[in-house]
Amino acid sequence: MSTILDLHSHSEASEDSRAPLEAYLNWLRLRHAERPLHGIVLTEHRQFNAAADYRALEDKFGILVLKASEVETDYGHVLVFGVNEEMTRRFDFADVRLPAQELIDEVARMGGVAVPCHPGRPTVGLCEHYGKKPPLENVVAVEVLNGGSRKGEDERSEELVQRFGYGAIGGSDSHLVSLIGLCATRFDADVRTIEDLVRELRTGAYEPVDFRPRRKAVPHAAAVEVK
Amino acid sequence: MALNYDPALIGRVFETTDPVPVSAEMIKKFTDAIGETNPLHTDPAAAAKGPYGGMTAPPSFAVTFRNGQHFFQHVPRFGKQGFDAGKDVEFVAPIRPGDSITLSSHVKEIYEKTGRTGSMVFVIVRTTLKNQKGEVVAHVDHRFMNRP
Repeated sequence: MSTILDLHSHSEASEDSRAPLEAYLNWLRLRHAERPLHGIVLTEHRQFNAAADYRALEDKFGILVLKASEVETDYGHVLVFGVNEEMTRRFDFADVRLPAQELIDEVARMGGVAVPCHPGRPTVGLCEHYGKKPPLENVVAVEVLNGGSRKGEDERSEELVQRFGYGAIGGSDSHLVSLIGLCATRFDADVRTIEDLVRELRTGAYEPVDFRPRRKAVPHAAAVEVK
Repeated sequence: MALNYDPALIGRVFETTDPVPVSAEMIKKFTDAIGETNPLHTDPAAAAKGPYGGMTAPPSFAVTFRNGQHFFQHVPRFGKQGFDAGKDVEFVAPIRPGDSITLSSHVKEIYEKTGRTGSMVFVIVRTTLKNQKGEVVAHVDHRFMNRP
C-alpha cells in the first residue's frame, strides 16, 4: 500500500506556530476526502523533543505522527529526519548557521537523512545559495512543494530538481491548523516508523502531492455602457 | 549558540512600575474603543449578577498597561532596527475597577532565526501583572524583533 505523509509541519512547540497537534489531527480527520493523508511529521524549528510521545493522539485519530526537526544552515533551512541522540550531541540545533554540507554528511552517517526545504524561497532556500556557493554534495532530495510558498518559489525548486536530479518531496510547512496537509509526499511503500521514512527517502519511490485548492479564475467584468 | 548575550539577562526583573490604578472610566473607554458589548464588562447591574459579582475589564485590557507612560525603558536590543512582533497573553484572574496593577518585567527568552528577509533576533519580555492583593492577574509576553 502507498503512504501519504505531510513531511513538514509545526505545532505550538515551535515559537511561531499556534497550532496544537490535536487540532491538526482533528482537521485532517474532518478533511480526509480533500487531504487523504496517513500521517504527518512534526518538524519543529531548531529543536527536537526526544521525549515527546504522541501515541495516544495517534490512536485517537488513526493518524501517524512522526518527529523530525527543521534546522537552519549556511545554505538555508533543512529538514532532518531520523534525529537521534548522536545528532543532537554533534550539532546545536538552535544554531542558525549550521554547516549544511557537514550536516548532510554527518546525519547520513548517523542513520538519518537531511532534506533542504523550500529551496526556492529567498534567503533561506538552496537556490539563492547555489548562486553564490558551490552546490552541496550527497543531497538525496529537496522539498519542491511547500504549502507556504509564494508565487514562483515552487517553480524555482522544480527547476533545481530538474537540474541536479534530486528526489522531490512535499510538505505543508503548516503553522496554522487549517493549512496542515496541503502539500505532502506519496510513498509507494508502507511507512509506519521514522526508520521506514528514512529508508524510503534514501532509496524508495516517492513523489510530492499537492492538495491546495485551485483558485477559480475571476471572470472579466462585462463592459457597461455609461450613458 | 552563535548569538552572544549575557545569560544573566534571562529571568532577571529589569523593570517594575508603580501601582497603576484602574478606574471604571478607563474600562469604559477601552470597551467603547473595541466595541465590547458583553454586559459583564459594560453594565454594572448585569455584571453584579454575573460569575464575578461585579464589573470586570475585558481580558484583553491586560495588554493596555505597557503603553504610553508605562512602556518599557530597558528592553535589551540587538542591532539597530526592530519592531513589536506581537504579544501572547495568559489571563489568570479578572481585573476590576478599583484595582491597582503593578507590572514587573523580565527577559524570558532570546533567540535567533532566519527567514525570507534575513536574520532576526527575538527578545521575549514577560510582564507579570499583579493586583493590590499581590494576586497575579495576567502574564503578557511581548515579542520584540531586532535586525542584527
